[in-house]
Amino acid sequence: MLQAIFLVVAQTIVLLAVSPFIVGLIKKVKARLQLRRGASVFQPYADLAKLFRKEPVVSTTTSWIFTATPYIVFASTLAAGLLVPIFVSRTPLNFAGNIIAVVYLLALGTFFLMLAGLDAGSAFGGMGSSREAIVASLTEPAMILSIFAIALTKGSTNLSTIVHKTALLEGIVTDPSPYLMALAALFIVAIAETGRVPVDNPATHLELTMIHEAMVLEYSGRYLALIEWAAGLKLAVFLSLIANIFAPWGIATTLAPAAMGIGLVAYLLKIAGLAMLIGVIECMFAKLRLFRVTDLLGVAFILALLGLLFFYILRS
Amino acid sequence: MQISSHIGSQLVDLCSALLLLTCFAIVAQRRLSACVDLFALQSAFLVLTAALVAFLTGNHHIYIAAGLTGLIKVIIIPRVLKKVIERLNVKRELVMNVNVPAGLLICGALVMLAFFITQPIIPLGFLLTRDSLAIALAIVLIGFFTMIARQKAVSQLVGFLVMENGLFLGATAATYGMPLIVELGVFFDVLIAVLIAGIYTNRLQDAFDSVDTSHLTVLKE
Repeated sequence: MLQAIFLVVAQTIVLLAVSPFIVGLIKKVKARLQLRRGASVFQPYADLAKLFRKEPVVSTTTSWIFTATPYIVFASTLAAGLLVPIFVSRTPLNFAGNIIAVVYLLALGTFFLMLAGLDAGSAFGGMGSSREAIVASLTEPAMILSIFAIALTKGSTNLSTIVHKTALLEGIVTDPSPYLMALAALFIVAIAETGRVPVDNPATHLELTMIHEAMVLEYSGRYLALIEWAAGLKLAVFLSLIANIFAPWGIATTLAPAAMGIGLVAYLLKIAGLAMLIGVIECMFAKLRLFRVTDLLGVAFILALLGLLFFYILRS
Repeated sequence: MQISSHIGSQLVDLCSALLLLTCFAIVAQRRLSACVDLFALQSAFLVLTAALVAFLTGNHHIYIAAGLTGLIKVIIIPRVLKKVIERLNVKRELVMNVNVPAGLLICGALVMLAFFITQPIIPLGFLLTRDSLAIALAIVLIGFFTMIARQKAVSQLVGFLVMENGLFLGATAATYGMPLIVELGVFFDVLIAVLIAGIYTNRLQDAFDSVDTSHLTVLKE
């Protein structure tokens, strides 16, 4: 019991602390690749602190959904984060749900963000929500199928079991093909869901291109801080999912302090590596036209489907 | 020995899975020169698969076939195609008979079809490459689909070459490769076919100011 509480607290702190860092690191990598000095990696922390001190302005035309959404989004993303193994293969909320719960907790946050975008009645918010609905409806099948491919190879939908088995090197050698396809699909889904460059551009407020930024345009003050923090958290959840399902090396399989220390260091290194990869991708590719996003997500869906098919075909 | 042959078989499977993956990339790609690059990449994976099979089985004649694949399909044919594209000044496949997501879904269905067809055959084989047979058939079908779905002569040619890659993989998977003399004949055929198709594409451009092969279905006075 004490262990469970400790795990919940530790993982919450790590997730909350690490997510602004990921955002800052991606920005820094982008800046360096574009031969700029860029803001400090810790700039997002300062931004959050500033936003929390500011007074929020809420439009008089909005309903309770508008003020409740930041809390719902933040809480559901954090709950999803507590269902994903971070630096210990055992997840704190292991009893509460499996990987499918993670998918739909994240979807719950997206759903409320879309509602809030519509709630203020501004044209931008509605446009952002409609675009987000396109992206979300196309990423969900790809994500679920890739998760099924992984779950079938490991014989479980429980993330702890999946990561634990992979960490002990069971299975990863015997079935590389479904894994590889699922990895590629999940990576595209992660980019689309977190609004990174080929799908959305988090650095711009240009009305032609924005998706996520358009939905949250009406927010200010501590509400905006919560939403931005939740966006960082979502990125952290996806990167942790990818890092720990496909490369769980170094993750602590016991609750011994030394193992957890190694697990934490390994986790930070893996996450930093993935964040840098995203930064590089953001520099290499231009944002896709909105109607080309379906092509990219179609590829993700097919990759996930192939992963599932390979599980049946290459099982000799 | 048991474990190493198991890992070897998994590696062959992985390589052929990557081959199939590049097929999907070709279907999803609109830019012609990128299609050609992807074809070169696919051929490189084919070389890797063939070399792996040669290494695992000790059939040294497959090395020669792999080397020839590398020379012809990774280096010569992509260069010829790039030259053709450069001369024709076509950058994008603007007209496709089906849009990209639909094409991808159809190809996914084709893969399933290939898997169902080969399902009864695969357990009869004893070779370590037998699982690749399904993938080889899928690649042939997708190449065929690319030839149907695209309207520009160059991308139809890429579809044809993808089909040929699938056949080579199938031959390697089913029988550890055809006799060398047959392979040589096939390579020569493919090379000549590409050269002829290149000339034909140029003629098409001269006659119609376009490489859209649907012009050929209309009578012209």
